Amino acid sequence: MNIFLYLDENTWFHRLDPRTKVIGVLLLFGIVMVFNHPLYMAAVALGLVLLGAAAKALPNFWRMRYILALLVVFSTVLWPFFAKGPTPLWSWGRLEVSRESLMYAVAMGLRLASFVAAGLIFLSTTTNEEFTHGLIRLGLPYPVAFAFSTALRLVPTFAGAGATIVQAQISRGLDVESGNIFQRAGKFIPLGVPLFIYAVRHTNMLAMALESKGFNPGEPRTWYLNPQMRRADYIALAVLTVLFLAALFLRLQGYGQVLPRL
Amino acid sequence: MGVAISIQDLSFTYAETTRPALQRVNGEVEEGTFVVIMGHEGAGKSTLCCSLNALVPRFFRGEYAGRVVVHDVEVAKARVADMSRRVGLVLQDFEAQLFSTSVELEVAFGPENLRLPRDEIERRIDRYLRFVGLADMRRREPASLSGGQKQRLAIASVLALEPLVLVMDEPTTDLDPLGREEVLSVSDLLRQERRTLLVVDHDPDTAVDADQVWLMREGEIVAQGPPRQVLTDLALLEVCGVQPPPTVALFQALGWPGQPLTVEEAIARIQEHGLARPRPLKPPTSPVNGRPVILELRDVDYVYPTRAVEALKGVNLQIREGEFLALVGQNGSGKTTLAKHLNGLLKPTRGEVFFRGRPLGEIRRTEMARFVGYVFQNPDHQIFSNTVREEVGFSLRMAGMNPKAIEERVAEALAVVGLSGYEEEVPFTLTKGERQRVAVASVLAAQPQVIILDEPTTGLDYRHQRSMMEMLRDLHRRGHTVIIITHSMWVAAEYAERVVVMKDGRILLDAPTRAAFAQEQTLAEASLRPPPLLRLGNWLGTSGITLEAMVEELGTG
Repeated sequence: MNIFLYLDENTWFHRLDPRTKVIGVLLLFGIVMVFNHPLYMAAVALGLVLLGAAAKALPNFWRMRYILALLVVFSTVLWPFFAKGPTPLWSWGRLEVSRESLMYAVAMGLRLASFVAAGLIFLSTTTNEEFTHGLIRLGLPYPVAFAFSTALRLVPTFAGAGATIVQAQISRGLDVESGNIFQRAGKFIPLGVPLFIYAVRHTNMLAMALESKGFNPGEPRTWYLNPQMRRADYIALAVLTVLFLAALFLRLQGYGQVLPRL
Repeated sequence: MGVAISIQDLSFTYAETTRPALQRVNGEVEEGTFVVIMGHEGAGKSTLCCSLNALVPRFFRGEYAGRVVVHDVEVAKARVADMSRRVGLVLQDFEAQLFSTSVELEVAFGPENLRLPRDEIERRIDRYLRFVGLADMRRREPASLSGGQKQRLAIASVLALEPLVLVMDEPTTDLDPLGREEVLSVSDLLRQERRTLLVVDHDPDTAVDADQVWLMREGEIVAQGPPRQVLTDLALLEVCGVQPPPTVALFQALGWPGQPLTVEEAIARIQEHGLARPRPLKPPTSPVNGRPVILELRDVDYVYPTRAVEALKGVNLQIREGEFLALVGQNGSGKTTLAKHLNGLLKPTRGEVFFRGRPLGEIRRTEMARFVGYVFQNPDHQIFSNTVREEVGFSLRMAGMNPKAIEERVAEALAVVGLSGYEEEVPFTLTKGERQRVAVASVLAAQPQVIILDEPTTGLDYRHQRSMMEMLRDLHRRGHTVIIITHSMWVAAEYAERVVVMKDGRILLDAPTRAAFAQEQTLAEASLRPPPLLRLGNWLGTSGITLEAMVEELGTG
């Protein structure tokens, strides 16, 4: 099973410097946060889909389709009860749904989905190493960045071992599918202990292998990855900054808002 | 030529243990030579490897005495990171060594630590990926490689540091036969480059071309010398828990002249001295087991949902009660997928599986554990209890048995695996071989009629492999149906009655053991080869499988 989302393509988006991508995705998050009118949000969402297409990240959108759909649906169903608007549509006791709160809910659904979409575009086009390298170039100390990237790296390894452990214990008659929550918690021991021991052994081995290859986190090192800020990077950052500022300006002028809140 | 490694009176005891891991070890390795280290589990081979790049005593603390000098540097006084320019270490567990998201970055890691400039790193990535034959996989994700490719990548990532000495600690143990060959061909290349190379391996085949073989036992080196001298001392090999070259054993048992280390050499000897005349091979037709079918796969296809890869394609298989069956084939050929259908862990995408004529879909999974036991490859994937008793009794407690009956069953199961008296031991502190037995016992305790074992001998030394397989033979004699998945051809040959060869999700060959191993061509299609003794037997036309049977046939003929 592959839990990583990186898609090895060669689009202009992939070729951007990881620093651009990190800052760029933050700007995208910013743009996503600006509006709360469903039509404006729909425009933002559409823009992200187009961007996703340009970055060839759509397969990951498809992979996450259930999560995306779920976010939109849940948000649309739940938000109306928490946001209050001036034009009531329906009420039942203290529960009240207004025209604005409904629109706001749709916008929030789109906002959440857009958030995920922006993140997906980033993860689809940036490898683990590029990401950490970008963070280092932005000033994160190497040991911290290394720990971060290694932790990310170990997730699928442990997930794989965990799957094997579950199968091994099922073969010995462990019934993981029945029982109440307390009984199920007790069943965690036969799964958790081997996984924990595996994790300790594995990390110990990894530490051995790293040291044997001359690894010393405190010392300076060179980099094979050598991303450069090129013209495309500056253009991308400039465009995103302008878009963000423009969106902010519009919102401050009162556009793209159904309720006076975030 | 100078001395690359010199070890003087090296002793080491790990912290918090009392038994020394190494005792007064002495040795010298000339520059550009190839040394193979052999010995039983716990003989100190890995400790010796780690003492060459300062992991011992820097990473593993303990009581250290003696001197190890590698290319004029005293190891104990150096740091591991500094030793990495002199000694490269490749570990058995290739999964744990790889951690990058692409092949090229994996190789770049070492040179980056050495603070090499970028174009030099580029040059080394190029050179060493080409060297191990992975040049066209630069952008691949290491997790997507096969076992052999992963280990070759691990070798390249160490070679990129351009160490003066390369040490490989059981680099082929976890690999299938094809992966093994891939890795060994890389070590051949290294030898041609006259690099100093130390390899720990269990297979006498690897040691044949060595300049020196070191034989270890209980932390000591008991023999050092050219392979022809060390590998022909069968009594000593036995004591060290090392598999003797079967051709040497055969020639010695028959009193034939010469000590051939390989099959090719044996054939040359036989022709030269006219020791035996090859005859057409007539594999014995083993009597058909007329007992009822216990497990059956009918037209089974299986597609892994996450990968959309067809792992099984139209598999039909009947297993009768009381059979001893070996499933062989490369990794990814579908052996494990097939086996997991036999206890219902996987449900076929198409087709059906039957247990005693009942479709598996009708049997509850927890109930299935009492019919078909499944021992996973790595015992550490299932051991979780504080005592052996609790561990072995787990499945019985799950089935809700009363404590007294559990006690009896546990004692019985431990007796079968030869661990009586271990009830109160802590499973985690046992040796790998013993943990493997605990895992088998914990499956046996449920008294399943069928017992499936995934790679029961991998990671065990020769002695433990033998005793594990003798134990399975014993279970088989008691009437259990035994199914093993194995990469070890001699294990399949000596113990199984029937061999099923898998390739690309299909059954390529399904025959009684001797007949199966007579079909060298078909086996080659699955990248398999009969074990040495049977290759010789195929040439000679003998129908026996074991050494004893061949001695009898050839001695009288």
